[in-house]
Amino acid sequence: MAAPNDSSCWSSPEVYKHHEQQKVCISRPKYREGRKAKAVKVYTINLESRYLMVQGVPAIGVMTELIQLCALYGAVEEYRPLDEYPAEEFTEVYLIKFQKLPSARAAKRHMDEKSFYGGVLHVCYVPEYESVEDTRLKLQDRRRYVIRMAQNKVREKEQREEVKKEPTSSDTAAASESITSTYDQTSDNNNTGESSTTSHYLGFPSLPLPPQEEYNRRHTNLHRNIPTEDKMGSLSNYVVDTKQQQMQNPSSSQMSSNKDRGKESRVTASAIRFVPRTTHMESRKRKLEEATQHLLFEAEGKNEPLIGPKLPEPPKLDMEDESLNTTVSLIRSKIKQVESVPDLKPAEKKVKPRRRI
Amino acid sequence: MSKKGSSEGSDRFEYLQTLVTEFQDTDSEDAKEQVLANLANFAYDPKNMEALRELQVPDLFLDMLTEENENFVEFGMGGLCNLSMDRECRDLILQSGGIPLVTNCLSSRREETVLSAITTLMNLTTAASRSEITDPAILQCMLRFSLSESPRLRNLATVFLQDCCTEAQVASAEQQMQGRHQTALGIPLPKD
Repeated sequence: MAAPNDSSCWSSPEVYKHHEQQKVCISRPKYREGRKAKAVKVYTINLESRYLMVQGVPAIGVMTELIQLCALYGAVEEYRPLDEYPAEEFTEVYLIKFQKLPSARAAKRHMDEKSFYGGVLHVCYVPEYESVEDTRLKLQDRRRYVIRMAQNKVREKEQREEVKKEPTSSDTAAASESITSTYDQTSDNNNTGESSTTSHYLGFPSLPLPPQEEYNRRHTNLHRNIPTEDKMGSLSNYVVDTKQQQMQNPSSSQMSSNKDRGKESRVTASAIRFVPRTTHMESRKRKLEEATQHLLFEAEGKNEPLIGPKLPEPPKLDMEDESLNTTVSLIRSKIKQVESVPDLKPAEKKVKPRRRI
Repeated sequence: MSKKGSSEGSDRFEYLQTLVTEFQDTDSEDAKEQVLANLANFAYDPKNMEALRELQVPDLFLDMLTEENENFVEFGMGGLCNLSMDRECRDLILQSGGIPLVTNCLSSRREETVLSAITTLMNLTTAASRSEITDPAILQCMLRFSLSESPRLRNLATVFLQDCCTEAQVASAEQQMQGRHQTALGIPLPKD
């Protein structure tokens, strides 16, 4: 399991000053305070290394778990316990060699000062385990990286300047948005080849509508097709869209008899365009529910709004005398008052025990 | 995207400017050390190079190399080590006459300072500066370092000798060391 002991860099565990955890600086003013309290220390490429030393690992046989944790941050090339390194009682020290420096950097950042099986890990770079070739490659990689970043920046700057020279090209994103928002206008242009009989209704929604089903299908069809055709012209999206259409069709046919409904659905449909899929599904569900409700009302054949089933009206007693009728109504109202009292009492009772708790 | 990038860049510049201003205005040694360390660490990120150049931080770091306070020297040298990876910063350091200042740091008692100095000298090596950096005194110093007890110093000095100069130069430096032309570069002064 442990790394072979042949190379010289795997021997001579010495305690260096840079292994120690330095005192945290507490006298920083607020604007210079980071998220984590840190010591006053300067990191250079000389201090960094793909070799890490992990101290404070509880001596309870968790080497596999430690290496698994390390492997989360990148490929571990070699590792071994540093038995000779002075460790605190009941803890072990491990040497980890990552394949790449960025992995070691990430592992150090995430594992240092984190608890691990009841111990607190201290992770530090141990460049003294590097070979000459390791050191050379580390410096070369770093130089290359910095140069590449500088070149990227120059390129970015050039692009930005080009963009400034031609302001129209910079607004491509905004332009595409405006195209979609002024959909009604552009759809007219895009649609001329397909069918001239239905397309103009999109521009003038107040005109009498053609049969609803047809309209809705056309509408969604156009909706879905315009961006796909413009951006990539692939058919894969189109297949998905037809499915969506089929799913939407029952709801649209249910709504077909009501013109107002149709208008509403049109509005929501155009609003759906850039809504996430989950929201889209929810709104469709809601529409379906609305439609089924609507069907229920239609079955009754009445257009007046119904809120719920009516309660049976209390039977009217006629005493055939005005004074007697007055007395009856008085008694009835009295009884209602009396009836309403026990309704209040249990409510109060319910409140009281709560107060005690 | 580009808009966001530029506003982020200006924030970055303003923050770094605040740091430089505090460094220049404060009388507290602690605050100076902290800010210097901050600036040196910011020099590690290539994104900051442009702003640091504009704020003349390379010259600020070079000024630190002649300070009494060893922390100032270590942090300034660390900052130069980070900055000199960038070509434009490298040219600025060379223009400001950085080589002798950095070379002096090879005699520091602190290993971290010496290591930063070696890496910086390697970074500063160009066709024009090569003769100055492969001065026999520096090569002798590197030869001594390559026999050091410390593996980091040993490795780095070996890389310098292998990558920055010719074998003939190394051979002549070795001969000089056995003769009378020994230099004391890289040998720290005894503590008083």
